[in-house]
This record gives sequence, C-alpha cells and structure tokens, in this order.
Amino acid sequence: MLREKIEKHLLEIQKPSRYIGGEVGSVIKDKSKVDVRFAFCFPDTYDIGMSHLGMKILYSLTNERENYWCERCFAPSEDFENIMRQNDIPLYALESLDPIKDFDFIGFTMQYELSYTNVLNMLDLAGIPIFARDRTEKLTQIVVAGGPCVCNPEPLADFFDLFILGEGEEVNLELMDLYHEMKKQGASRKEFLRKACHIEGIYVPEFYKFHYKDDGTIERLEVTYNAPETVKKRIIKDFDKVYYPENFVVPFTEIVHDRVSVEVLRGCLRGCRFCQAGFIYRPLREKHTDTIVEQTKCLCENTGYDEVSLASLSTSDHSEIDPMLTKLLTYTAGEKINLSLPSLRVDNFSEELLEKIKRIRKSGLTFAPEASTQRLRDVINKNVSEDEIMNTCRIAFEGGYSSVKLYFMMGLPTETDEDIKGIAELAQRIIDLFYTMENRPKGRGVQISVSCATFVPKPFTPFQFEPQDTRKMIEHKQKLLLDSVNKKRVKVSYHDADVSILEAVLAKGDRRLCDVVYTAWKKGCKFDSWGEHYRFDKWLEAFEECGVDPSFYANRRIEYDEILPWGHLDYYVSHEFFVRENKTAHEAVTTPHCRLKCSGCGVNKEIGGRCFD
Amino acid sequence: MIRLRAVFSKKDRAKYISHLDLNRCMLRTFRRSGLPIWYTEGFHSHPYFSFALALSLGYESDCEILDFNLNEDVPLNEVRDRLNAVMPEGMKIISVAERKLKVTAITNAEYSFSLISDNPESLMNDIKSLINREKILIEKKTKKGIKTVDIKSDMEIISCEINGKSVDMVMRLPAGTQTNYNPSLFFEALKKSCDMPFETAKIRRTGIFCENNEIFS
Repeated sequence: MLREKIEKHLLEIQKPSRYIGGEVGSVIKDKSKVDVRFAFCFPDTYDIGMSHLGMKILYSLTNERENYWCERCFAPSEDFENIMRQNDIPLYALESLDPIKDFDFIGFTMQYELSYTNVLNMLDLAGIPIFARDRTEKLTQIVVAGGPCVCNPEPLADFFDLFILGEGEEVNLELMDLYHEMKKQGASRKEFLRKACHIEGIYVPEFYKFHYKDDGTIERLEVTYNAPETVKKRIIKDFDKVYYPENFVVPFTEIVHDRVSVEVLRGCLRGCRFCQAGFIYRPLREKHTDTIVEQTKCLCENTGYDEVSLASLSTSDHSEIDPMLTKLLTYTAGEKINLSLPSLRVDNFSEELLEKIKRIRKSGLTFAPEASTQRLRDVINKNVSEDEIMNTCRIAFEGGYSSVKLYFMMGLPTETDEDIKGIAELAQRIIDLFYTMENRPKGRGVQISVSCATFVPKPFTPFQFEPQDTRKMIEHKQKLLLDSVNKKRVKVSYHDADVSILEAVLAKGDRRLCDVVYTAWKKGCKFDSWGEHYRFDKWLEAFEECGVDPSFYANRRIEYDEILPWGHLDYYVSHEFFVRENKTAHEAVTTPHCRLKCSGCGVNKEIGGRCFD
Repeated sequence: MIRLRAVFSKKDRAKYISHLDLNRCMLRTFRRSGLPIWYTEGFHSHPYFSFALALSLGYESDCEILDFNLNEDVPLNEVRDRLNAVMPEGMKIISVAERKLKVTAITNAEYSFSLISDNPESLMNDIKSLINREKILIEKKTKKGIKTVDIKSDMEIISCEINGKSVDMVMRLPAGTQTNYNPSLFFEALKKSCDMPFETAKIRRTGIFCENNEIFS
C-alpha cells in the first residue's frame, strides 16, 4: 500500500498534512464505480495550489458526475520529493492516495510561466514519459493543460497531448464524455486525439507543424489530420447561471488564500494594453448580487471559513457594487465573517465605498497606477488621472490610513528616464499631500511602498509586438529609481530582472523552446518562481546548448504581419484590434472602456452582437 | 455564557494536524456546526478555544481536552452530535460536559507506544536496565534554554511487553502547567543507553489525570 509507505516518512518533513489528504470537503468515491479518473495537478506546492479558485470550481464540477472522479495533486516540496525519489513513492493524488500514472487524465493548470519546469518534474515523479511522443499508443493516460498560459502553449507543446483553451466548465466534461465513450470502444490515443480536436476549445499540438524561415521567424503552419485551422477558446455565455461549488476542500495547514472565494465577475472592460487577463477573458460578464450573496452564504456555512474574498479582475467595475457590498456586509457582519476586496481600482473609488471598506479592514490600501506620468499612463491605457490618484489618497488619509502601497511597471513601451523619476516624484507629491492635510492621521508619519514589476510583453495584448527592455536597461532604471526616491518615506521593491526575462521568453516563445524547458529541468531547474530555487545560470546554459537565443523572443520587435506562434489560436479578440491598439499606444492616445464605447475588439461578433445590455 | 469542556479523540490521518492548525480546524468545525459560539468582547473579537495540553505532531490521542463557551444553552448530547457531524476524518467528540476542574489540576498523562526492533528481546533487556537505574538524566529544551532533568522519579511504567517484533509500553509522565514530559524524552534516553536500533510507532495519549490518579474531566 502506498499510504503506508507515505506515512512512514511523513513526520520527517515540513507540514505533513499537505501530503496525506483527508481534509473536510474532499471527495471520496468508490473507484470500482468510477469510469473516468482525472488528476487535477497544480504545478506548485499545496499551499499555493490549494488557493487556486479554478481548481476548486473544476474539482467540484467534475465530481458532481457520479462516474467521474477528480482528485487533487500538487508538487511536493524539496524535502518530500527527496523522500519520494529515495523510497520509490510515485506522485499520487490526495483523495485515493493512488499513483496518478494510472489515471485517465492528468490535467495541469498553467497559471504562470515559471511553473513550466514543475510540470516536467511532476510527470517524472509520476513515472509518465515527459514527451507526448514517448507515450504509448494506448488511450491512457492523456496529459492535458488549461489556464491562462495555454493561450500560447507552444513552449509546452511537446509535453502535452492536448490543451484546453478558455473556460473549462463545459468543455472539460465534453472532453471526458468523449473519452468515456471511446474508452468503451477500446480506441487508441491517436484515435481519441483525432476526434477530440474537433471539440471547440481543444488544441492538439501534434496535428500542427511549424516551418521556420532562415531568420528564425515562422514561415508557415502546416495543419494535418484535418484538424481545424484555428482553435477557438471556450467561454461561458450565461455566467450568472454557471456552476459554482457549494463546498471547498478545507485544508488543515494554512494556505496562501485561506478563505472562501466568490467570483463576482469574469473578464474586464478596461483594456489596459499590457494586461493579458484583460483580453483573454473577454467579454465582461457579471453575477447578480443575489447569486453572489447566496454563494457566499452557502460556502461559508459549508466550509466554516470566517473570511470571504470577492474574486474578479476589477471588483469595483461590477455594475451593482454598492448594493452588493451592502447586502454582503449585512450578512458577514452578523456572522462575524471578514470580507476582503482585492482588485479595486483608483478611479471609481468613492467615499461611500471607502466608508464601507473601512468597516472591513484596517490594513493599508493598495493602488496600481502602473505608470507615473500621464503620458505613459495614456500609452498603456491605464485610464487613471493624477487628480484621481491624489483624490483617492486624500480620501484614504482622511479615513485614517497612513500607508499606501503603489504598484508600478518598469520597462513599458516608450518609457524614458523621466517616467522613472516620475515615480519618485509622484510618491513625493503623495507625501506632501499628507502633510498639507489638517485632518491627517495623527501620531504617525506617512509610508509609501512602491512595488515595481518589470514589464513582460504577453501574447494577446496590444503590446505583444513590443520588445522587452534588456537586462542592462532594466538594471539602469532600477538604480535610477532607488536614487530618486525619498528614502525615509518611500520603500521600493522590485522584481529580479532575470526572472522577468525568462517570463517574457516563455510567454512569447514558440515550439523550439520545448527542448530548452526540458534541458533546464534536466539541469535541476524547478520552482523557478521561488527566489531561492531560481537558477538563471542553468537556464542560460540550456538556451546555449539548444542553440536558442532568448533575446530573439524577449527583445525583438515583432512585425504586425509576422506569423505568431499563437496566431492559430482564437481568443475572440482580433489581430487587427491589437495592431490598431498598438499604433494608438505609440500615439499616447487612450481607448475608452467597453461600457463607455465599444472599441470593436471583435468579441461582440463572437457572442452574437453585444457585450452589454 | 455556557462554559463547556469537550473530550475528543485525534487518530489516523488527524494526527498530522499540528497544534497550531488544530485551533483553526476547531474554529471551522464549530462554525460548520452552527452552534452559538461565544466570542470574546475585546477589540479583536474571537471565539474562546483552549486546549488543556498540546499534543505532539504525529501522536494520536483518545483524550484531548478542549474548553469552549457557548452563548445559549444547548443539550450537551446535541452539542456533541452536531460537532461530530462536521468533524474532520479521524477526530471525534467523545463527550461534552460543563467545566468543573481547572486545567491547572492536571498532573500527569498516560501514553502507549510501540518500540519496533529486529531483536525485541534484547531491546526489552535494555529497557529494563534503563528503567531500573536510579536516575534517568536527559537534556530538555525549555523556554529558558536547555536543562538537564531526571525523568525517572516521575515516570510510572504501567505495562511493558513483547508483542511480535515490538515492545509495547504504557507509561505515565508528568503533564500540566508545572512539569511536562513528552515520551520522546524516554525514547531519547533509551536511544542513548542501548545499542539496539529501534523505531517508535503508534504513539498515543491514552489518559489525562489529576491528583490521586483521577481522570481529569
């Protein structure tokens, strides 16, 4: 029994309750009555993966079907991985404690580029061939992936049998139904894949072959086996009615987001030009207030959590935000539940809203102006004015806050040294504002935290064509910022440039990167998103050995008419729109958000005319 | 406010829930049960939960003590049943009663465990010679630093017998607010005094007692 083998070593490692299951809310089935088994794998540790909302939704959704069983699987931390390797413990799922190797589906959710090597490590721990081409002709197991990163799945193409594009609530079950049917008929893997590729949202990479020009760009894409020329993502049309879990698995050990999470809207109407989520999840769809309140109550009662957070890309854009918060607060206050509201925007942050939030939390406030000067904010289409930022800070200070956290990006297209110094100047104007206020919080000085990420150009954004700043440029700007700020009142933190470079390469990479990912993993790269595990030197060696130049992907401007590695994938927003928006960005002209004026991105055509009533 | 005390068991997979996590786990269990939990009235209002003794990670127990308060009178059997309906696997409320004794009345606790060895007979001899010593001195980490203690004087062996490949023991050790000895101190002393390698298994707290060996409740 695997369980005995696992338990023998559990007390030798950190936080053992992560590896043995048995949590409240986990779904146990009789496997003799199950037809299709799905291992939902998150390529990071339990603490992180268990916080992921998509997994909770798809886990419960699949398990609603009596004869399908979805189980959870995470990447073990280094201490337990060593024990697993030394004692021949294969990667197993937490519900049955069975090895995932024997499951029908091994499904990964790809949330960030720096988790790619963990996928390879998990497949290896499971005893599943890393490359799809090395798997048998037999139907099981099918290795699949979904999530935002698969909008450009090419750097992962060699490792997966298929990718699921877009929202999974419907297509996952359609895929499993097809599999179930074909399993009964004794079909082979190839036969299954040839049928599966005709389900909308399913992309089978082996049916697509890339041909390259001498300069390294793509010459053409050859489609084989009569697979579709373009693969469309899936969306849920009636978001208010879409399945939402009534229960979550409640972990014993503390996880990153240890609370009930209720999704209030999907998609975003803002169109910030750097933001991939703002485009790949279009169109904006909302849940009704009553649905949100109902789902909150249900989940709080079933899980016993005393904290709930509203999940969305921009909660304050919900058209019923005020009545929603009023209703939610009536419930949560009565039940002694904390309500937290991430993703609030600066511009529609009203005094009434602040008054409501003040009843909720006492910690600092976080805003994301993203760029310091109006010119640059217009370039990135972050439609926030300096007046609005100042006004929001004033309201916050009047409300008793004395610390503000500001998010910026560095290395944005058209950015100059003036824009970097502008960050320090903006911070200083906020400090000055604080001290000119009569009614500022007494007894404390003002504290501004400036968090500066490096811009990573991403597919399916108007900035997909843009080169990323080189490492030298990034380091210059980081130093400039540090030298410009008021060190007493402003705390600066920024991302490691090397990390952002790899993110850019993997985000915009093509299929030739698969070998690089494999080589890097072979050299020991894993948990790349964890500072202490990140080995950029190993990655550089891998690029070198594979003859791949990272700057070709990160630092080269892509021409508008180039064939893109993700060009055959259709996320409903048109290529023409991205080109138009890119040109508009370089003119520093903004595009209004979807409720003000339709920008003609193309999504409305796909969903039958209009995004809004 | 109704002051109650629950006795609960923590077995199987639940033994991997750490003491720190147990508090959170109980809070969620109570919230799921829908019982009228009493909250403290301070600035940071929170439910009152107090565990009489901490239990080491990996140990099972038949007799953990949890003190809590309710706002309204609920029949004690109903409290137990409503909690058990939503308890995590491996944990079970055995009884719920009004709090009578103070936690400070606890004097010692009983543990059962197995010591597994390829040669249990030889291990048995080592155990005997250890427990027949006048003193068993062992270094114990305390909040104030490392201190040498004699566990012999306060240790009571209830049973010790060979069972296949293992030596099964039951022993009582001081517990409570004054002196708290974990059986791991005994394992450490045994490891130092014998050549026979052994592994510990099935460590379980089987009783919590006060003066005159009365069961604490």
